[in-house]
Amino acid sequence: MSGALRLQGQGNGCGYATGPAHVSTEPLSPRGDQVSPSLEFDSLDRAIGESVAALESLMAQTDPASADILEFQIEMLRDPVIAEMAAEQIGKGQNAAFAWVAALEEYIAGFEQSEDDDIRARAVDMIDIRDRVLRALEGMPAADFPKGSIFVGRDMAPSLFLAHDWTGGGGIALEAGSTASHVALLARSKDVPMAVGIGSFVVDPETPVLVDGDSGLVVVDPSHADIAVLAKGERTALPITRRSEPGVSGIVSRSAVELLVNISDISDIRSLDPHACDGIGLLRTEFLLSSAADLANEEKQFQLYCEMLKWADGKPVTIRLFDLGGDKPLGGFGVEERNPFLGLRGIRLLLAMPVMLRIQVRALLRAAAFGPLKVLLPMVTLPGEVEDTRRIFEEEAVVLADRHIAISMPAIGMMVEVPAAAIMLDTFGDADFFSLGTNDLAQYLTAAARDNPAVVDLYRQAAPTLLRLIAQTVAVAHDMGKPIGICGDLAGDPARLPSVIAGGIRQISVAPSQLAAVRTVLEQAGVDG
Amino acid sequence: MTEKRHGVFGGTSSVGGNASVELLITHGVGLHARPSVVFTRLAKSFPCTIEIEVNRSGLWLNAKSIVKVMGARIRKGSTLKIRAHGLRADEAIAVLEALFANDFAEERPHVRGA
Repeated sequence: MSGALRLQGQGNGCGYATGPAHVSTEPLSPRGDQVSPSLEFDSLDRAIGESVAALESLMAQTDPASADILEFQIEMLRDPVIAEMAAEQIGKGQNAAFAWVAALEEYIAGFEQSEDDDIRARAVDMIDIRDRVLRALEGMPAADFPKGSIFVGRDMAPSLFLAHDWTGGGGIALEAGSTASHVALLARSKDVPMAVGIGSFVVDPETPVLVDGDSGLVVVDPSHADIAVLAKGERTALPITRRSEPGVSGIVSRSAVELLVNISDISDIRSLDPHACDGIGLLRTEFLLSSAADLANEEKQFQLYCEMLKWADGKPVTIRLFDLGGDKPLGGFGVEERNPFLGLRGIRLLLAMPVMLRIQVRALLRAAAFGPLKVLLPMVTLPGEVEDTRRIFEEEAVVLADRHIAISMPAIGMMVEVPAAAIMLDTFGDADFFSLGTNDLAQYLTAAARDNPAVVDLYRQAAPTLLRLIAQTVAVAHDMGKPIGICGDLAGDPARLPSVIAGGIRQISVAPSQLAAVRTVLEQAGVDG
Repeated sequence: MTEKRHGVFGGTSSVGGNASVELLITHGVGLHARPSVVFTRLAKSFPCTIEIEVNRSGLWLNAKSIVKVMGARIRKGSTLKIRAHGLRADEAIAVLEALFANDFAEERPHVRGA
């Protein structure tokens, strides 16, 4: 066994990996830090400069008539007034992308509302200019690390996980963290071996590291024997996963229990057969659109949602509004709160930032014209939050309809993940459907942070409390005649699933890697087919 | 040159570095993309302050900013007032007015400002 350094943490049950250490020196969430106005202004300035340069090279290759249009766009971008409009927003604490979109919003609307066709046509130019600069802002990704590495750090930002290509293998060893955190959720859905809570240790970059996600063991500079032990027992811990390959699909679609899939990454969709599930139960938009520029980009969002609908091929696609804040401070939001999980997150943040919300709402209204799209509101606490959001959907629908853009009003449902909402469910008549988010619900019920290894046992042992509240909530939803499903980790836990079904849940949404295991349990419970 | 014409009310006036003109916009396309580029570039070539006011709104906008000029949404039938203050104010107004008279024709044929 050599004198290798061995550390024990908690694993995520996704097998083992070995590779050279990538020692993270990054702050946890580079993009989540407090917005620095001067840095934001610099990046906007750079993005505008890049856009002008791109337009100039485009202009050199076009005929004079088209060149006029490009020249006009260049002049607009070179006008210091346009940057000053955005600077005002940046001064109010907005990041560059949102400041840019917010500054142009009213300006563009002024053109769109004109009775003159020629003036209305100018709006298209402005939208073109806006989106070009947004794309330039996007070109500044977080620092990635080599494929196949073992990421070693205190904790890991979800955006960093998503930006990395995991197809070359590799794993994650975190000094802090929890198996219930968002990055752990992502790692599970991608089957990336991970160990958390291993405590502080020092390792030189490039040193070989072994991470066993099944036992939670991390070995620095492992011997051949260490690896051989794991290689022999490879995957025995996950026999059910082996059945996950296509073939058994189709059974589920006729089941008494609807089995849907949670999507956190676009590549999940590309490797998954749509017939293996009854649709998308939860699309985590904050993970698929992970940069501030994406959050501000209506067109990109619209295309992403349409792609999901196309993949689902007529089955429902439930899209959750950006659930930012908490441990997902993407795009410079959810800034510096002493207790982010109890602060401005989910729908609270969206309603406080209507510019971002309205962009997503417009993209959703447009996509809903192309298929059975449903919208899910995160972190709802009071009925007024659903009513306010619905009003924004209605307002934006009127604006889009005035512009003769095809739209459809989607069903609007809410996450039930705050105990106050679960207990008072009967007062949420404005919601069309409910989805239980058991991870947050458990954390708020137990007052135990899911990313704190010191109290994670409390969080786990409170399952009976959680199941009792779920049963009560489901009964109320049935009385109200509204559909209720579950999309938290509880649904993907084969040991808990029968109690969930017994509690009256008939709609379950799990990570793609859990589909097969859950299907097996459903078959055994006799509620399938 | 096109057959479209501009109209002038009142003509120019000049008092110690101040000049102004009021025009009735008769272009079918108003003051749009291409004309805005030409207009603001020309305005920028003068050292004096130049401002525009549309339909006697009382709101004066910097004529050297294409963002402001476009935002004014000048259209056929709009009344456009241009005023200049400072060095070469008279000359600036005369040249800008001529731009409308010549239908924004520059060194090459006028391209519809769409």
